[in-house]
Amino acid sequence: MAGQAQSRMNDTELIREAQRGNHAAFEELVRQYDGAVLRLAYHLTRSEQDAQDIYQEAFLKAYRNIGNFRFECSFYTWIYRIATNLCLDLLRKRQVRKEDSGVTTDSEGGTYDLLDQVADQRSGASPERDLMRRELGANIAKALQKLTPRERMVFEMKHYQGLKLRTIGEILNTTEETAKNTLFRGTQKLRAALKSIR
Amino acid sequence: MNCEWVQQNTALYLYGELADDARHELEQHIRRCPNCAAELAAQKEFQEQMNALPVEEPSASFLAAARMRLQESLETAQQNRAWYHRLAFDPMAWMRQVRFSPALAMIIFLAGFGGGLGAMYSAKAPITSTSTTPPAEASIGGITSIEKQAGTGNVKVQYDKRLPASVQGSVSDPKVQDLLLYAAKSNENSGVRLNSVDVLASKADDPRVRETLTYALRYDSNPGVRLMALDGVGPFVKQDIRVRNAVLEALLDDSNLGVRSGALHALEPVRADSSVRMALQQLSKEDPSEYIRTESKRVLASMPNIY
Repeated sequence: MAGQAQSRMNDTELIREAQRGNHAAFEELVRQYDGAVLRLAYHLTRSEQDAQDIYQEAFLKAYRNIGNFRFECSFYTWIYRIATNLCLDLLRKRQVRKEDSGVTTDSEGGTYDLLDQVADQRSGASPERDLMRRELGANIAKALQKLTPRERMVFEMKHYQGLKLRTIGEILNTTEETAKNTLFRGTQKLRAALKSIR
Repeated sequence: MNCEWVQQNTALYLYGELADDARHELEQHIRRCPNCAAELAAQKEFQEQMNALPVEEPSASFLAAARMRLQESLETAQQNRAWYHRLAFDPMAWMRQVRFSPALAMIIFLAGFGGGLGAMYSAKAPITSTSTTPPAEASIGGITSIEKQAGTGNVKVQYDKRLPASVQGSVSDPKVQDLLLYAAKSNENSGVRLNSVDVLASKADDPRVRETLTYALRYDSNPGVRLMALDGVGPFVKQDIRVRNAVLEALLDDSNLGVRSGALHALEPVRADSSVRMALQQLSKEDPSEYIRTESKRVLASMPNIY
């Protein structure tokens, strides 16, 4: 708790410095949060290229608008809000184009199968077990596609990124109650989808 | 607390999102209601299943590549912002200047008056030629545009010209330094770039010079130039985060083993930095070069333990 308060205080100083035009202070802010932003974008989009684009656009937006930051929320919430909005835009576009498949692209434009990501790398993992995990991973990816972008986002932030629902509500500019309901709907859909795939 | 409420909140219970009293009541309910206990077990199984799609931390090279790209965009954004501030027209500032400078006010007035008269008498005069310097006097650097002038039959040819010139002075001389910085980034001849980077390496304490050397380390096609640039910026990995990023990128991605091993040694003073440590850990396990693997292990082993 003391660490969080300390970090928040440091952020406040860094933001004030960045607002005065200190580029090094802004870069320091980037380095504190960029790993988390890239992780979120990559897990959601499953594409290195898209994740890098979102990462880049999110921090450029933050840089351009740092002067308007009014300390009404933490920098963490603010940068996550920017990044999640960009992710939502991308998920919506993909939904329209219906191009979101299990095959994703890496930074060099090469394609690889989502199944590779869920292979069990532990020593001693049997090929059968590995195959089962890969199959389950593919089913999960399929099930996740049944969610609306917003349900997908709430589920991602809760289940995979471990954020509190109160924070998720704040990031998505909504209430904790709405985030709860969205999570419930998403979870129900996923369970039904996984049951029907099996 | 009824079954419907419990079944809607099993996910929140497992995520630790219920308040203490609600959690306690739910646990009590589960003990005496087999249906809700089954629902909780199913929810738990579902959450465990979903973990088959793991969230992995971005690799050091992926993060480094994203940072480099962002840094370039931020630099461009900074430059644009600086230009905007320099060029932005502030009428009040102009008025203040004119108010305190009667001579300037007079010049603006006369220029306006003269311009008005000129426009009145020459508006319909045919354009003959706007060129003042014959092209033969200077070599032509390139034709940039050719436009037919409607109605007159004239053609407007726009071209760049090159005039040979030289300048002499110390490396600190701003004019000499500008030319060296330009040569290091833009010259097609790698020998010229090498000489330029060699000279500039001794002035790497200047941030502008460092920026150019970092650029050469990242983008120059010639490994000799990249090595020379690395020598110049290497001592600044501690104090300049951009240098650190560029050297880290060279260690991870440079095609030349000499540059990579130079980068590895340059990063030793910042081996405790998390991004450097992650990169070294990755390289010590996976790098195709045995030398890089061994050296990465050595640097990691020399790291003080953090308790």
